[in-house]
Amino acid sequence: MESALPLQGIPRSPSSLSGWTYQERIDRLRTTKMRHTEEKWQVIGSMDMDDHAIILPPADSRQIVQVTSGSGFTMTDVLLKEFIPTSNHPSGGFFGAKACGENFRTLLAMHPTYVDPVSSLAGGYMVNFISYRNPAWNPDFDFSHLHEDHQKYRLHHGIGAVQHFCQDMTIGLELGWGGILEKIRRFRGINTDGEAQELYDGLEAMVLGIQDWIERHVDAAQDAAAVESDPHLRQNLNEMADINRRLVTDPPRTFREACQWMLWYQIIGKMYNMGGALGRVDQFLYPYYERDRREGVLTDEEAIFHLACHFLMDTSYTQLGGPDETGRDRTNELSYLMLEAAHRLKIPVNVGVSVGRAIDPGLVRRGVEIMFSDKTGIPKFLGVDSTSEGFARNGYPIELGRQRAYSGCHWCAIPGREYTVNDCVKVNLAAVFDVALREMISDTTIRPGTAELSVRFERHLRRSIDIVRESLDFHIDHMYRVFPELHLDLLCHGPIERGRDASHGGVEFYNLCVDAAGLATVADSFAALEQRVEQEKRLGWDTLLGYLDGDWTGPDGERTRMMMKNIPRYGSGGSRADAYGVEIARMFTRLVKEKPTPKGFQLIPGIFSWAANILMGRDVGPTPNGRHSHAPISHGPNPDPGFRKDAAPTAMAVAVAAVQPGYGNTAPLQLELDPGISRDAEGRAKIVDLIRTHFELGGTQINLNIVDRETILKAHEDPAKYPDLVVRVTGFSAYFASLSPEMRQMVVDRIVAEE
Amino acid sequence: MNSSGVVFNIQRFSIHDGPGIRSTVFLKGCSMRCFWCHNPEGRHFQPELRYFPGRCIACGACVEACPNHAHELREGVHTFFREYCLVSGECVQTCYPGALELNGRQMSVDEVLEEVLRDRPFYESSHGGVTLSGGEPALAGVFAREILERCHAGGIHTAIETCGDSPWHSLEALLPWTDLVIMDIKLISPEKHLRATGRPNDRILANARNLAQTDKPLLFRTPIVPTVNDDPEEFIRIASFLKSLIDTRASGNNQESDAGGIAFELLPFHRLASDKYASLGMEYSAASLDPPTKSTMCALAEIATTLGVTTRIR
Ligand code: SF4
Repeated sequence: MESALPLQGIPRSPSSLSGWTYQERIDRLRTTKMRHTEEKWQVIGSMDMDDHAIILPPADSRQIVQVTSGSGFTMTDVLLKEFIPTSNHPSGGFFGAKACGENFRTLLAMHPTYVDPVSSLAGGYMVNFISYRNPAWNPDFDFSHLHEDHQKYRLHHGIGAVQHFCQDMTIGLELGWGGILEKIRRFRGINTDGEAQELYDGLEAMVLGIQDWIERHVDAAQDAAAVESDPHLRQNLNEMADINRRLVTDPPRTFREACQWMLWYQIIGKMYNMGGALGRVDQFLYPYYERDRREGVLTDEEAIFHLACHFLMDTSYTQLGGPDETGRDRTNELSYLMLEAAHRLKIPVNVGVSVGRAIDPGLVRRGVEIMFSDKTGIPKFLGVDSTSEGFARNGYPIELGRQRAYSGCHWCAIPGREYTVNDCVKVNLAAVFDVALREMISDTTIRPGTAELSVRFERHLRRSIDIVRESLDFHIDHMYRVFPELHLDLLCHGPIERGRDASHGGVEFYNLCVDAAGLATVADSFAALEQRVEQEKRLGWDTLLGYLDGDWTGPDGERTRMMMKNIPRYGSGGSRADAYGVEIARMFTRLVKEKPTPKGFQLIPGIFSWAANILMGRDVGPTPNGRHSHAPISHGPNPDPGFRKDAAPTAMAVAVAAVQPGYGNTAPLQLELDPGISRDAEGRAKIVDLIRTHFELGGTQINLNIVDRETILKAHEDPAKYPDLVVRVTGFSAYFASLSPEMRQMVVDRIVAEE
Repeated sequence: MNSSGVVFNIQRFSIHDGPGIRSTVFLKGCSMRCFWCHNPEGRHFQPELRYFPGRCIACGACVEACPNHAHELREGVHTFFREYCLVSGECVQTCYPGALELNGRQMSVDEVLEEVLRDRPFYESSHGGVTLSGGEPALAGVFAREILERCHAGGIHTAIETCGDSPWHSLEALLPWTDLVIMDIKLISPEKHLRATGRPNDRILANARNLAQTDKPLLFRTPIVPTVNDDPEEFIRIASFLKSLIDTRASGNNQESDAGGIAFELLPFHRLASDKYASLGMEYSAASLDPPTKSTMCALAEIATTLGVTTRIR
């Protein structure tokens, strides 16, 4: 067993000799987490993604590899070297439900246990199963006919996308692992076709692996208890053993047991395919909380502690508060306790606070208070009215829209009933623009101009979205035979009942997310061309192309770049670039909603780059807005840093509200505010008003950072000196020191340019 | 009704100049010359050229553009000769890196309104609005009045920030369309005031008394500047003056809000304006002053409280 602490001789503060306060335990666990994180920095280096709370495997079983993450990022990863997956294909890979389930079971059998005597919950995960997939795609399913267009438009096309939808946790909490196994076996007898049988093989292997892994934790906790000298920790370890002995088969009964069950499910998801949708924890845990409180077996302090123990091991996305189907607010005590848990921890957790007409305004007020006191970019804010009303515009009843739960970076999904590939498909507007621009300039039969450019841009944008449609159909045709959603299938309505993977007809709704990225880059480029080339005639189209080809080198290169950059930009308010921003967002929305995929799957547009705007920028040469070759494209729907001298958050909020696609998927506003803004309650109230007004104008989500300029600059110089500085990078929060230099630069630029 | 005036900045999401989320319109021109002034861009009535050497890429475009040879490029280094500058603005048009900027531009009331109305939803939700600052709004005449009038008629809360150094009738002319008056009281001792600001203060104090006799909500502010007014002796005079204003109002009417709608704030001096002075080619005489300490600020606030004036430190 891996143990977080030496089991004996733990130094104590004098006040805790007679036991530990919950805060002492949280502090201790936080220190352990910092140690894990620092170790990760040493071994893995930078991590430009969520802090998934992964723990490194023991030193002697580590194998370091380069892999592609679930979101398409290349990263360094650490594998358990003992585990070698069994291939079922000449390529050396393993594909399909049975192979995936069985290999995963084998991995679980080798996966070390993790019991921290200070925590109330057992379990921790150390490896990403997807990093063993090599090749990740089954070469029998050939999509080389799409390659050329994927390359041409630099599409993040979604073929091979995993997870990014949300389970219904109540299924698991009601059935327990034993009940889930029974359910699989019952339906195995009903759905006897090959596809179903294969899926059941995979699901059953996964559940058996999980049960076995939990059982090993029971032993580990008992062993630890046997040698633990502190009576309180010993008791805690024994409790963990007892709880988990039951949870191998039975559903949870108490709040602590429910937290433990939820943690098992979540870390298995992380391990299997980096899944991490928590959804509305304050709703599905509420019955346990309420019952335990009523029976006097749980205090709020203890509830906060269990939630904190969960967050320490799983930083997944969760929504606090929000409406039920009828629109009535469901904010409850747990919503506040979860916020409190995040506040006590001050680590990157991804809690989102609901804000809406009918929603308890106390929650957003408390959220803003915590935001300013912790300065960790936590929580984020969710405009639940615009997302649910927007979703209804896809032809669904609004009641369904209200059920969509915030459960990922910028996204929501109906728990257990909707397959979405959220955040996996990105149309790089800058790349599409570049194709259109070059095509126009090289066409000698026409007179170039922004009107002509706009026509061509639309044509290529339509084409790129058509390619996305084809790609998504291809994905849905094949994914279940490559790497099915075994983990999420377990807690969805349909996959087990129908014998179909969620990616292949297992669930009720298919609403595939297609995001645009690089909006400001393109809006500013259009406006710069219109002003400098067309109206002021300061340079010709060919000359411009020369500068682009040379990345603004040459005698007048830098000056010309500045000239193109220095125009009233998107976000400044009332500018031509603002108008282009709106026009492009509407065009994108119209083209996405024009038709479903050829196989009939509906698409939902959003505007979000995730942190991949750096990656996507590397794919695009210089753009007419004065951007250098390979520099990041603009972030989400945000204006570029420096868009206004006063960097007014209201100006940003107005601009971003005006480009919302409006179909329930988001275009999140990213704001960096100086801590000086709200030293008192009056200042904080203004921030609450800022948030609410953005949502009233149609905004969908807000990611906020409270960072002071000096701290971030110092941390940028020497990140190691600020190991626990947490920033909101985009939809996710992370330790600043964990980020790559490039990603840190992006965060710094946003903050410093806005001074 | 669309007069025009010189505006040097419109700052959206302004949250320290009155209630709620506001936009502050900075008008050019002030009669006072407080040596620590945080907004030297507002001093002169006419636009002037600002130069930021750090942004200059020495491209030489301004040399070509300037009709009066105010710019020179020698061995790759640009020099600006302010004494030759007629503020034609030609160079600014060609300086893409933004090293040259015009400080102040003529704007019509319509243009100002167009800009400030963009944040109207935020004013509404936060009970904010528009603040006229400066420079000195009371010296901007009909331009200031029309902006206030149009905002007021549109249901937007209005505030003015005044140094008080204007004829009473100029200030009074703005009041019907002003929901809040924010006024600086820097010093009470006449000679000290003259020395520190270049202007006598009798008119300022009289205006303050006149304002106290109206029923307008008033916010008086004292910038605490070391060597100027951070000594208890002078500060007691300031606070006592404030107390007399509160008493005047109390005897005149029976307002219910705090101190009869008169509030008092202390603002610590800071040195953040030094770059502004440099870009304007102005001498910054407060460069060697240290900001007051927190304990000084608290001690002064304490004095005010003892004298019966509730005070807030910004
Ligand atoms: S135009 Fe601007 S950047 Fe060029 S030399 Fe003049 S001041 Fe410098």
